[in-house]
Amino acid sequence: MSNGLTLAIPSKGRLEEQSREIFAAAGLVIERASNSRSYFGTAARLPDLSIRFMPAGDIARELIRGGIDLGVTGQDLIEESSEDSEVSVLTVRSLGFGQADVVIAVPDPWIDVTQIVDLADVAADFRSRHGRWLRVATKYINLTRRHFAQHGIIEYRVVESNGATEAAPATGSADFIVDITSSGSTLTANGLRVLEDGVIMKSEAKLFVSRTAEWTPMRKAQLEALMSVLNWVPPGITTRL
Amino acid sequence: MINTFERRTALAHLVEAEGVARVNPPMLLEAGQYFELAGEEFGRSLLMSLANDGIEYCLRPEFTVPIVAQYVAQGLAGSPVAYGYMGPVFRQGTEGPVEYVQAGVELLGQLDPEQALDEVLTFARRALGAYRITTPKVRLGGVELFEAVLAHAEMPDVWRPRIRARFGHPEAMTRLLDRLAESYADKPEAAAEPIDKAELTEYVADRMIAAGFNPAEGRHPEEVAERYYEKQALAAAHVPLPTIDLLRLYLSIEGRASTALDEIEALASVYKFDLSAPLVALRHHNATLKALAPQSTVTFDASFSPRLEYYTGIVFEMLGQSGAVLATGGQYDRLLQRLGATVPVTAAGCAVWVERLEQEMQS
Repeated sequence: MSNGLTLAIPSKGRLEEQSREIFAAAGLVIERASNSRSYFGTAARLPDLSIRFMPAGDIARELIRGGIDLGVTGQDLIEESSEDSEVSVLTVRSLGFGQADVVIAVPDPWIDVTQIVDLADVAADFRSRHGRWLRVATKYINLTRRHFAQHGIIEYRVVESNGATEAAPATGSADFIVDITSSGSTLTANGLRVLEDGVIMKSEAKLFVSRTAEWTPMRKAQLEALMSVLNWVPPGITTRL
Repeated sequence: MINTFERRTALAHLVEAEGVARVNPPMLLEAGQYFELAGEEFGRSLLMSLANDGIEYCLRPEFTVPIVAQYVAQGLAGSPVAYGYMGPVFRQGTEGPVEYVQAGVELLGQLDPEQALDEVLTFARRALGAYRITTPKVRLGGVELFEAVLAHAEMPDVWRPRIRARFGHPEAMTRLLDRLAESYADKPEAAAEPIDKAELTEYVADRMIAAGFNPAEGRHPEEVAERYYEKQALAAAHVPLPTIDLLRLYLSIEGRASTALDEIEALASVYKFDLSAPLVALRHHNATLKALAPQSTVTFDASFSPRLEYYTGIVFEMLGQSGAVLATGGQYDRLLQRLGATVPVTAAGCAVWVERLEQEMQS
């Protein structure tokens, strides 16, 4: 086993393709070992670099924890996994794909709710009307709590949802949602409407370096070498770790 | 030099003083009651655990709620009881789970609620004294006083609960007052085409069905239509600019308690508001604090309140020289009914943070 750096790439779909494309364009061709179902890869130019294919959410968590050294994932997932992302990760650069917004969307027939202040108002007396809290379905539990706290919305509950969040209001498991959307078409198809001031954050795919990984002088040198191959940022990134 | 153990023993004596029943609620509690009371805001600081049957539990994050819930469950609501406690509490900190030791008292159903608060202040003062902290900075807040100002201020009634809900949340309050001031500056909008309410309800119901929502689930079509009208009424119901200025002025009052309370009294006489009851209570407790700790500074901050709506009369914090909050407490009459009491019950209490006391003493 080498003590080389580990780079994590999203393990499936468009994010994987686009990640591999942009690294290839920068001169780092990533091969997925033996077949596309393997979770390990290699880059011929940098034999010491271990490449792992992982779900984007796991990449965010491992970057924050220091379990991997570098990774491609969404800004949204980093923010969700960490109260203060600046402390645990360093952004190398935006990669120019995966653009999407984390938004608050309510059932379109709620004609009285157009802004967050309306939602705060509805939340305030929902419990006395219905005997339960207003519920928001989301996979972004921490982002939602932080954003709502800033806006003084207190009277609600989060229902954790991993997948098909947009269907939650129709199935009755939640009243509205916080979800990620690029075109908004999935939301519209499910009868949902984004609030006028409902964009919680704009996200995109970025290359991150973990600050919490173990950065020995040797490994810092390897990181500088990798950065010089990619030529995306000027030398000296390790001084910011 | 007395060591940590002996100081903690001294603190334990305080929570077991004569007439105080020391209690030790379970460390594993159902999380539901905290979410019920404080929503996601407090919920995010709980250390949660999920049982196999899907019920959420949390490690005890504080003592007041389980103690009060137990008091109500035992059918004691209304009888005067003093509880004391000391033990670990658990929170989700920004950098992971944290265990602290809290000690405190809860005085429930006392005949004289102001005397009860004096006793709570005395407890806090003695708890700090056990750590040789004799000159804390004390910060007082007036929940009842703000509610009185709000009740007297001239505005459409629909806005009062909305402004009250933002007390203790300075950013949200500023945003609301700014919005109200702006909407006042706008010319009243031309009244929208009046639509028959039944017609609007039907329109909303049709859209719900067309979009695949069950109109019987969650917000009902009538509710949406009603609030749509209410929103128009709110937009039309302007809070007068002088009232907004008054609220802003009031909320900005902060300083040495006696001076700040004089300012508020002057304000009250200009506007002809009767704030005498809450002001008398605040002056009384200010005097108590002065007698308890002549060297300490007592300030009053008109905008200071915990974010929880069950606090009622007066709230306080005691801070060390480092600025750390060492003790927090106050009157919280509304909690009893939120936890199931069927009669009004007065309540006052406070908690001290033991590790912070130890740290403060060392520095």
